[in-house]
Amino acid sequence: MTGLLEFRERLRNFYGRYEIYVTAGVKFVLGLVTFLLINSQLGYQEQLNQPAVALLLALACAFMPVNIMVAAACGLILIHLSALSLEVCAIGLCLILLLFFLYGKFAPQHGYTAILTPVLCLLKVPQVVPVSAGLLCGPSAYLSVVSGALVFFYIDGVKTNMANFTSAEETEAIAKCTAALKMLTGNKEMYLVIAAFLVTSLTVYVIRKQSINFAWRIGLIVGNLMQMVILLVGYVMLGMPQKATWVLIGTAVSMVICLILEFFLYNLDYSRIERVQFEDDEYYYFVKAVPKVYLAKKDKRVKRITPKKTTINRRQLAEELDIDSDLLH
Amino acid sequence: MAVFHQLVNGECLGKQVFQGFVCCVDAVSLDGADMLSEERIRLMTKMASYEEGEGKKYMPIKQFYRKDYVTLGMVKTFITSSIAFGILLLCWALYVFEDITEILASRDFAELGMSVLAIYFVFIAIYQLIALLVYYRRYTKATASMKEYHSILRRAEKLQEKEDRSPPLED
Repeated sequence: MTGLLEFRERLRNFYGRYEIYVTAGVKFVLGLVTFLLINSQLGYQEQLNQPAVALLLALACAFMPVNIMVAAACGLILIHLSALSLEVCAIGLCLILLLFFLYGKFAPQHGYTAILTPVLCLLKVPQVVPVSAGLLCGPSAYLSVVSGALVFFYIDGVKTNMANFTSAEETEAIAKCTAALKMLTGNKEMYLVIAAFLVTSLTVYVIRKQSINFAWRIGLIVGNLMQMVILLVGYVMLGMPQKATWVLIGTAVSMVICLILEFFLYNLDYSRIERVQFEDDEYYYFVKAVPKVYLAKKDKRVKRITPKKTTINRRQLAEELDIDSDLLH
Repeated sequence: MAVFHQLVNGECLGKQVFQGFVCCVDAVSLDGADMLSEERIRLMTKMASYEEGEGKKYMPIKQFYRKDYVTLGMVKTFITSSIAFGILLLCWALYVFEDITEILASRDFAELGMSVLAIYFVFIAIYQLIALLVYYRRYTKATASMKEYHSILRRAEKLQEKEDRSPPLED
């Protein structure tokens, strides 16, 4: 445990010293994964379906606010969709505009959750996002998770029903739009996942706000288990039991990542709780103070109090005492 | 004093003031006629750091009175929520396109228009309420965040006045 705490302190110091580079690096990796995944899933526009394009976009986004990355990802998705079908692109644009006007405008600070949700949905382990959002953010962030999930299910739906949108007949334009909308509104899995995410985030939030010992740990365990049960039962009811394996893997990954987050951000020492009680003119105060686990940096310094012993020979001692050296035996 | 008023009125000048201040200090110290005011440098550094960080978010908000800021936010929200409603209406029309003739035949056109209008007003009212809460809360947050900045500003201003009043050192 001490080794882990030392590692945490070293990591914190490293982040404090090189914050700009670390943040840019994280954004670059996130951007690269996002753009590569979009290209791999929807590579309809062949000019953009190149690793170099993803690399360049990720590089540009590394030094900009995260919302620019969200905008770039949306732009890339729409360009790919336009190469497939203009109607699908138009419905996609409507969806993105609705999400921006109805939610994104009020909470622009949740760009990371908005982009992480579809990315992790594509990697089939999205369970970590609602639980960590419940741990780290307030209720306004949970809608960004929902927004991310909506975008993912739209992309997934287009990919699955690609044959419906590739017909070249112009008379079918409205039918294609209707099909794209019905694909989204008729997706029962989407409702299940969104409901599971919302319930999980709110449960984790309510538990971690309680004044109980190990609130974060209880919150993350209950949240993960609740999400797992909702998704498993839901998938069985929807007749998709094959997805259960990924739910289990996702829950395990989520548990590990949430425990790491707890270790770094909420590591309290419950054995040293202090309870104080005092009053002023208007209130009585019952305060419970829980100290953070903190390991001071090892800084060993050896201070020599006694002077260093020096050995001198008989002749030097005799010279110092101003006597004959024969007198010393 | 003018600088103080500009800053209190929400103009983001602290960084420039700080840079100007450092230049002045450099010039004075080069002449060897005066000493550095460490306290003022400390305060100015704090102010510049705030302006680069949290201040970027909150200073533009504090350029407005609360009422103006919230009203502006609500007007913007009215426009965006109206566009959003238009998109939703369009999507609904596309969604029920196959059955649109049946819907129009079964219901009076004016009645349908009235019900759409009623939904629009409810939709706008909900979003106006959300906008009111969000922008009011955002302004309160900005006020709390700027409080310390203003107190530092006043301290720096007092130090400046004190230095101005003190007699110049004779060579």
